[in-house]
Amino acid sequence: MAKTVTIVVDDIEYEVPAGMNLVDVCKQYAGVDIPVFCYHPKLGHDGNCRMCLVELATPRKNPHTGEMELAWFPTLQTACTQKTSEGMTVRTKSQKVIDGRREILEFLLSSHPLDCPICDKGGECPLQELTLRHGPGTSRMYWEEKMHLGKHVPLGELIYLDQERCILCARCIRFQDNIADDPVLAFDQRGRHQQIITASSPGFNSIFSGDTTDICPVGALTSADFRFNARPWEMVQVATICSHCPVGCNMSFDTRTDREAGGRTTIKRIMPRQNERVNEIWICDKGRFAHHHMEHPERLTKPLIRRNGRLVEAGWEEALREVTAQLQHAGENVAAIAGGRLPNEDLFALQKLIRAQGSHHIDAYPPVRGGEFTASVGVGVGTNLADMGSGDAIVVIAGDLHEEAPLWWLRVKAAAERGAMLITIGGRETRLDKFATHSLRYDYTEEVATLNALLGCMKLTGLPRSVDGLKEAVKGARAFKPDKAIKDAAEALAGANNVIALVGHEGLDGQGSHNLAQAVANLLMATGHFGRPNNGLIVVWPTANGQGASDIGVRPDYRPGYQRIPVPGMGYTDILAALADNTLRALYVVGADPLFDDPAAEQALRSTLGTIIVQDMFLTATAEVADVVLPSQSAAEREGTYTSGERRVQRFYPAIEPCGQSQPDWLIIQTIGKRLGHGNPSPSAAAVLLEIAKTVPQYAGITYQTLAEVEPQIPDVGGEDLYYGGTAFRNRHGLGVQWPAAAESGGALSAHPVEAAESIEPEEDMLLVVPITLLYDAEPVFHKTSLLHGRVPGPDILMHPEDARYLDIADGDVVRLSIDGKDITVVVRFDEQAPEGAALLPRRMQVQGAPMAATFATLVRWDVEALER
Amino acid sequence: MALLDTHKEDIERHLAKYPDKHSAVMPLLAMAQEEYGYVTQDAIGEIAGILDLDVTHIKGLIGFYTMLYDRPKGKYLLQICTDLPCALRGAEALSEHLCRKLGIQPGETTPDGLFTIENVKCVAACDCAPVMQVNGHYHENLDEEKLNKLLEDLRREAEVSEPAHYD
Repeated sequence: MAKTVTIVVDDIEYEVPAGMNLVDVCKQYAGVDIPVFCYHPKLGHDGNCRMCLVELATPRKNPHTGEMELAWFPTLQTACTQKTSEGMTVRTKSQKVIDGRREILEFLLSSHPLDCPICDKGGECPLQELTLRHGPGTSRMYWEEKMHLGKHVPLGELIYLDQERCILCARCIRFQDNIADDPVLAFDQRGRHQQIITASSPGFNSIFSGDTTDICPVGALTSADFRFNARPWEMVQVATICSHCPVGCNMSFDTRTDREAGGRTTIKRIMPRQNERVNEIWICDKGRFAHHHMEHPERLTKPLIRRNGRLVEAGWEEALREVTAQLQHAGENVAAIAGGRLPNEDLFALQKLIRAQGSHHIDAYPPVRGGEFTASVGVGVGTNLADMGSGDAIVVIAGDLHEEAPLWWLRVKAAAERGAMLITIGGRETRLDKFATHSLRYDYTEEVATLNALLGCMKLTGLPRSVDGLKEAVKGARAFKPDKAIKDAAEALAGANNVIALVGHEGLDGQGSHNLAQAVANLLMATGHFGRPNNGLIVVWPTANGQGASDIGVRPDYRPGYQRIPVPGMGYTDILAALADNTLRALYVVGADPLFDDPAAEQALRSTLGTIIVQDMFLTATAEVADVVLPSQSAAEREGTYTSGERRVQRFYPAIEPCGQSQPDWLIIQTIGKRLGHGNPSPSAAAVLLEIAKTVPQYAGITYQTLAEVEPQIPDVGGEDLYYGGTAFRNRHGLGVQWPAAAESGGALSAHPVEAAESIEPEEDMLLVVPITLLYDAEPVFHKTSLLHGRVPGPDILMHPEDARYLDIADGDVVRLSIDGKDITVVVRFDEQAPEGAALLPRRMQVQGAPMAATFATLVRWDVEALER
Repeated sequence: MALLDTHKEDIERHLAKYPDKHSAVMPLLAMAQEEYGYVTQDAIGEIAGILDLDVTHIKGLIGFYTMLYDRPKGKYLLQICTDLPCALRGAEALSEHLCRKLGIQPGETTPDGLFTIENVKCVAACDCAPVMQVNGHYHENLDEEKLNKLLEDLRREAEVSEPAHYD
């Protein structure tokens, strides 16, 4: 327990932690709301708005009598710049304070346009609220005499600034500088002319820009997505979970029944929902703005069946009959590929159907492994990245968190700034390296070797007895030779109190990601960092529900709950091969689009004689080659659960009416299952979750009731008061349930030595190409969101200038690559951060209507002759 | 020509002065302004690169400090003090006279690029009010006659020095 002190707030004594911010203390311990504008618990104090004035006294020794007495400051003091100390005494309700607040508000309003009736913030505006509570009832300032500035100043295409409304609290600047590390906002000019500017290209270049509209305490910053779109009180908040990455940010769909939409309920905006263990009060711009695909006119509304070579609309009955006949015909020669974006219920129904057919040929796309290790030594229940600080260590391996899981990047970076040791291990420099205490670089394919070398040179005093095979695993690792950087990192890591490892999959195939996760798990097990909060493994999945897909057995080697299958089915790569040689009769693709970005899928899916059934929201590239296409509902139209990378199961709710005749994926799958004789469909998604909880031992006890449990969130910024949160919403619909890993529930743990991968030796005219994940890509669910189009980079290959010089290629040259026998034409961009010896090709991109990136690191035949200069 | 080509040593000298290289932004901005007459867009980008700062931050600094310019100003910057002591001694009328004479308003530059007028706050020479600075040099106890002569002198000087200036 931290040291406590006694303070007096409005004549009542409180026992509070020493050195805590006075505004926070008053709110949390005394229930006293001190009004603020510039202060924010997440941003710290700045003391510029002067709204938090209080009368303040501290005990001092009287120089004449030598006795201790309470010395009152002669003037009002800003509470936000005070830290609690013994005997500190505050008056927050005296006449002096009331007068002070009124005068500050009059000053702040002296140039404010008071255009609340047309302001997007009106109704949830701290300035409006606090003026009503503390301000003068009338204004002495004439509108004509006020400073008049720009009202629609675009800070880029996403965020607009109203310079008149701005009260210059600098919350947005401080957020960008200190939290997002994109210092692209600043004050320009001074005095009456002072205003916010951005000079970045593109304007307001930050993937967290939307968060500034939430913390803006006035209507100065508004988003292009929401401005002039609805009034806050008209909207219904529907709790949801972001479906873009494995962080699982808690969000709300703010919906309204719209006349323009023909009386349909539409999503007007997306707001973060406070969950201090997951996303705090932030979300990235992809989560906030990339939702328009849900209401896109290109959504599939009816089933499609291929007739005479063309996909034509059909009724559900006809389509289901067709699918049933094809699957019956296929029998056990059926395979399924599921998108890792699908909720648990859909994944469960799909694997059940495929296994009921007698097949284990099921995999998620893209196939990434490691779930079995999170199930054994995943981060302990109660883990919070915000608890990581001095004395702790975070290891980030084989990925770029800024692009793949922005909120983890934000929170890992914050932990590093609090003093946590940060070890980045990767094939290239990423934005996290700037904050790292140790950066280890490897050549692609040396991922496992690097981790083994790290484990091999750790000084270990006694290995945990609860883990089988640990001695052999450590012995195996000792065979790898560490360099000095690895030795330094090992030495530093040995002294850490808590260790969390986030393992990615950059450049790795399914087996590669499995091996790397095993190597990381070995390290965590050997050093005892598992089975308790703030210790253990997190897999950075390529999709939002990769963890759930693995838990639920959407993989060829495990049944739900990690029950190993003696003779595994085929994984993604094998399924493609079997399709190509026609040993599979049917492929059922649900919520995945391999044809969009995997050139390797091209030949298999286009040439196979087997039936392809695709279930999706859009007519995707894969759907275009399908024999039957079934329209599924978006996450906004139905309910379900996702499991985040930290193994937190979280529920989302239906927000809008279904699009056309689309159905939830789980229901379509179960209806087909019924026709195939595998039992009746569940009555609801809730019933499917109950079945999951019964089948998957790890999910035992997870029900809608437990998922809906909430607890007070500290700092309290999402409450009804609008002092801090602006519009960050209180979490009323549940914080989710993190399921215990085997290490916590007494399950068996085992380590295995991991072999290093074979290195790839490029031939003369070949080049190693590594697919990388970008946040803004061209994937249909994202690209249908026109708002962020301008931020999607071109489909270019990134290359270190040295490599390019060696190949005699200039920046901007157009070159031809041959990936898996298929030629693509791409533009070369120089990138100093690209690794030497490997070129980077963004995933989920298309070039001239064809898939661009390889799914895994691969050697690419290289047409050295540049096509155009 | 970039600053790193022309002032490499100076830049290194400034960088060496501070524990945090960000702190060298003011001397580097002053250097750019001295070199180009104002802080050009290219110079902003270059300084941002040298100091690892965002260009927005540098733009904000230029906006904050009135002595830094991010657009071209005249060959002669006429900064006439209109603060209280100078105002009491007729500075406002003098400023108007200057504007009339040059046909521009405060903050503007003459079409020939010779003069920019600015009304400024106290320049710490109240004992000699009214005061005007020309490119940093003080001209004190001004009246209309002295102003007229000063403008003539400057015009003559510009004619002579102009070719040299563009060498």
